Amino acid sequence: MTLQTEDYSSLKRRLILRDSLTFLSLVLITVVLFLITFFLFRSFASHRLELGQRWSARGQAAINSSHPDQAIVALRTALSYVPGQRSYELLLAQALGDAGYTEESYNYFLGLWETEPGNGFINLRLAHLAAKKSDVQTAVNYYRASIYGTWEGDGVLRRRDVRLELAQYLIAHHELSNARTELLIAGGNAPDDVPVSLTIAQLLEQANAPHDALNYYHKVLALEPKNPTALESAARLEYDSGHFDDAHRLMEQAMHEREAATSNQETIYPSDKEMLDESTRIFALAPLKKLPNNERVTRILQARALAKKRFDACSAQVSTASGLPTPLQDLTTKWGSKDATSNRVVLLNDPTQQDATMQLVFDTETQTSKICGAPTGDDALLLQLAKFPKAMEP
Amino acid sequence: METNPTIVETEPVAASTPREDMIARIAPGREERVFLVLSIFIGVISGLLVVSFRMAIEWLSVLLLGSSPNPHQPRLLYIPAAAGLVIALFTRYVFPNVRGSGINQTKAALYINNGYISFRTVIGKFLLSALAIGSGHSLGPEDPSLQIGAGVASLISRRFGMSKERLRIFAPIGAAAGLAAAFNAPISAILFVIEEVIGQWSAAVLGSIVLSAVASVVVARSFWGTQPMFRIPVVDLRDSRELLAYAALGVVGGFASLLFARCLSYLRPKLRSQPQWSQLLQPAAAGLLVGAIGYFGLVQVMGAGYEAIDQAMHAQFAWKMLLLLALFKIIATTLSFSSGTPGGMFAPTLFIGAMLGAAVGTFEKIYFPHLTGTIGSYALVGMGVLFAAFLRAPLTSVFMVLEVSGNYSIVLPVILANAIAYLISRTLQPVPILEQFTHQDGLDLPSMEELREESNLHLEDAMQPVTVPVLQGSETIADTLLSLAQYEDLKSIPVILVHCLDGLWYAAKREELEALGEMIDNAASQIEPNSEKVLGESATLAEHLGPERTPILFPDLPLSSALPHFQRWPLLPITNRAMRGSLEGTITLQEVLNRYQKHNQH
Repeated sequence: MTLQTEDYSSLKRRLILRDSLTFLSLVLITVVLFLITFFLFRSFASHRLELGQRWSARGQAAINSSHPDQAIVALRTALSYVPGQRSYELLLAQALGDAGYTEESYNYFLGLWETEPGNGFINLRLAHLAAKKSDVQTAVNYYRASIYGTWEGDGVLRRRDVRLELAQYLIAHHELSNARTELLIAGGNAPDDVPVSLTIAQLLEQANAPHDALNYYHKVLALEPKNPTALESAARLEYDSGHFDDAHRLMEQAMHEREAATSNQETIYPSDKEMLDESTRIFALAPLKKLPNNERVTRILQARALAKKRFDACSAQVSTASGLPTPLQDLTTKWGSKDATSNRVVLLNDPTQQDATMQLVFDTETQTSKICGAPTGDDALLLQLAKFPKAMEP
Repeated sequence: METNPTIVETEPVAASTPREDMIARIAPGREERVFLVLSIFIGVISGLLVVSFRMAIEWLSVLLLGSSPNPHQPRLLYIPAAAGLVIALFTRYVFPNVRGSGINQTKAALYINNGYISFRTVIGKFLLSALAIGSGHSLGPEDPSLQIGAGVASLISRRFGMSKERLRIFAPIGAAAGLAAAFNAPISAILFVIEEVIGQWSAAVLGSIVLSAVASVVVARSFWGTQPMFRIPVVDLRDSRELLAYAALGVVGGFASLLFARCLSYLRPKLRSQPQWSQLLQPAAAGLLVGAIGYFGLVQVMGAGYEAIDQAMHAQFAWKMLLLLALFKIIATTLSFSSGTPGGMFAPTLFIGAMLGAAVGTFEKIYFPHLTGTIGSYALVGMGVLFAAFLRAPLTSVFMVLEVSGNYSIVLPVILANAIAYLISRTLQPVPILEQFTHQDGLDLPSMEELREESNLHLEDAMQPVTVPVLQGSETIADTLLSLAQYEDLKSIPVILVHCLDGLWYAAKREELEALGEMIDNAASQIEPNSEKVLGESATLAEHLGPERTPILFPDLPLSSALPHFQRWPLLPITNRAMRGSLEGTITLQEVLNRYQKHNQH
């Protein structure tokens, strides 16, 4: 029995020893195998990396030389060696877009976006592709995501550029109010910089926000008083706002600057010249309140005569066709009143009558323009004055 | 019939058989402990080998086909052909057991040869599969990885002197590890091995399979990184009507898998029946033809084709091109695989599925633009569809797509499309392709599909109403005898059921009770008349029958669970689970046998 127990213990010891040795050898084999695999893999990985770099460089070169199809092949090869390499993927997605594979490029960028939804560049590219696909809302969403996304390098500058691009996109799609908001935000964040302010002003003008645009043109002029573009645009906006004296002054200055810079191939636009002439003529025509009374009355009488002529012509034109419409009938009544017949003496002595006469002139020009079409010559200028009667005040 | 040498490996007879019984006596829990620890080692080593295997494939590919294989490069023609020739020579003279994908070989090792896979086969599989895939043959690395893993498991387990039973189940453990590392998808690997190799859920191996699969994936990921094999596109199902589109994909996939299976089941035996000398040229001819497909434009069909799958997922092909790629991949894979070139079917199956899925997705995007699913999601579902229909692994196919996509919202399209494709394939091709290969090789391995679908009989299927007398164990012998006297034809009743006090039953043979009566009569004649009454009143029938009782059986238990008890009991009571001791019916050996016979006739 004792012998059996000893045998048993000995066998057990031998079994434990055998198992331990086998496990040890297994551990050693695993370690050796791991080391071999590790070193092989390192060499393998570096070789692949090298191939990836080589092919991506070819891809980049093909993109630069406007051969997107070659770039696609090269970049796909590069990515097969370095899968998931962000820069290669971005280049490939870009090349796909450049080669006209909009849907493929969109899907590719979408895949990249999945892993990095806050990337400004990817969102911008997606916005471009969505815009290409005429998916306006998606494009706007990606533009916004791009603005609030992360950017490598000068993020502030890139965000402002994207915002301006978004504003342009919104203007193109007639979302003027949203465009104005974006532009005002862009302007608020922008430094006092002439080109940026000028761009914002021009876009605001396109976004039907003339007042804001004017502010920005003035900002430009504060920084660069001789900027002809700002002068011209500001003049035009002032003119359209009824600030004829400012418009005249600014346009005159703009013309002066243009003339001074003719050697630099600066051109004077006919429209600018026309506007300058019109504003000059308005000054000659308008019965400004700051004028001496005598002069003012002379101009009122002149304006009344012009308006009467216009009214008569319009009445004749319309009555031969189908009788006078109600507004013209009202005007006929007014032209029979004392406002239309007050003589020079009465007007000189009664400033209220002056205003009433001018009101008759403005009403006539406004109503005839609606019924008989846009006037020309001095009538057009009187109509312009009618829109901004305050322009006559000092 | 000639025994096919390409699948069955002969286990060398051990010089001295391990003293299993002695080891079991010395260290009773040793095997279980060693088994679990070895599973981890198997996982790690399989993972390392599979990493090396993939490296070898890619290295060879760059070396042989160049860093950017494109159509009209002459080497696309001669490299696969030359590699085919080398493979054929090595397969014939050095590694005779490496033909095929590796799945059936692993199954054969499990069911025929106690899990034995030789080291030579592992080496051969590694080298020749890598050469085949790297040179452009249209095959995949997953199935060879599965066999490499199984081979590693077989090799390691043999060194530890494990019992035969354990040795056998090491093969699927290694197989799961190899597949998991190759596919970077542990759940799918585990499910595939259970679905296709073992055939049933077994608690004994599940833990080890999980351990080895996880270990191998950890190793593989430490080298390749954690990113999935493909860049997964956005998967979104917003409108349930889109499921109709996925159902259409299921139909397309079902028929495509049928075509693929038919091509393989036709060409493979044809080529294998050719003279030996011509079989040496078959891989080269297949390589030349596959290379020609690549040379004339469809270079994507060469090799495993993962890059093309990735591109299809990201809508980089037109739908006609996608259909063309799927068709030529079927042709190329049929040629490569049927020629006996070692390599797997997983990757080609996924390739075909992805192309078809993307084709359906692109088609629907063009003609039904309101559908919101991305082309990539169709490609992903397409992969699962082909997997379900061609490899007949429906559960694995669903989990594979979920695991690869990491997106649960794809589950409905996957289940729907896979189920449709699976049903079409099953109806039109009742014998799965892997089973056809085993038949072609002259083997008779168990059909996993049949195993899965085997309807198990239960006791309730053979149970009969109670027709035998039922006595109460609490009665005295005298009362028992009086009760029995009520039965006029007692002689014809072979068994009587006795309901004992503890709610259990005793099935007494008539002879037993008669002997009991005689015993009491004899006892009564030997003692005073008054004593008989005392004896009859004090001892109950249950006490006289002793402590032994019939086993507790319920109607829902497997029919086979009754079989071990018929040696002792002529009849078994079936009781209710809710009410202890309440009798539902009885069962006899004859009734069980009759039920089995009836079942088999169906």
